[in-house]
Amino acid sequence: MNVRIEALAEATYVVPEGRLDFDAAGRFQEALEKAVAGTGQAPAALIVDGAALEYVSSAGLRAVLIGAKAAQRAGVPFALCALQPAVREVFELSGFSRIMAVHADRASALAQAQRGRT
Amino acid sequence: MAQRTVAADPAQLTVLNEFLRDFWRAAALAPAGMQFFELALEEIFLNIVMHGVRPESMPLVQVSLNRVAESVTMTVEDDGPQFDPLSLAAPDLSAGLADRPVGGLGVFLVRELMDIVSYERVGARNQLRMVKTLAS
Repeated sequence: MNVRIEALAEATYVVPEGRLDFDAAGRFQEALEKAVAGTGQAPAALIVDGAALEYVSSAGLRAVLIGAKAAQRAGVPFALCALQPAVREVFELSGFSRIMAVHADRASALAQAQRGRT
Repeated sequence: MAQRTVAADPAQLTVLNEFLRDFWRAAALAPAGMQFFELALEEIFLNIVMHGVRPESMPLVQVSLNRVAESVTMTVEDDGPQFDPLSLAAPDLSAGLADRPVGGLGVFLVRELMDIVSYERVGARNQLRMVKTLAS
């Protein structure tokens, strides 16, 4: 798996590409934690864009949960968006959709983060 | 029926994934359903690695795949110590973000995604059988 980071003024987007399995989970967790910390200052919001995320297992979910907790502690709005159907189903079954904001696309994730509700 | 045996070493998961993909392609099954079996395979295999590996012994894990009509059965057997993954407590899904424990989701997801999951200790082997009928 490759993780792309787009640090913009409006938000930092974390874009996992490929498979978020046990092998990739550690790297992804690190990427999320780094993104929460930001460079110099915390990001305005942290949005995981799942458009290129093909697969997630419980190890991947664990990394997302740790990242979401870190964002919450840092006061950074956290959201997921553009999850593919099978990945979305795993998020819903695990109950994560109830404790994290899941949006259809970047625009709606950003709009909600900017309203300060995550 | 197709069968593959590997050591309970995390690095072997790629071999099992390839085995699953080959089976899926050969059976001409709809690609959409494969993810659920990939997930079940990763969760169950890693559970065996976690619970079954002892300093003096590494269990062998045998995965069998069988298709009848639109129904796929995956059986995972290992010769490690007796361990029933279905005995693990279900995670508390009601906790908020800050209190939500990290982990414990793997077997829960397998139970949710499969139609049937059953465990049996057969002789000196753990046998976990999973069945799912795919949407046609």
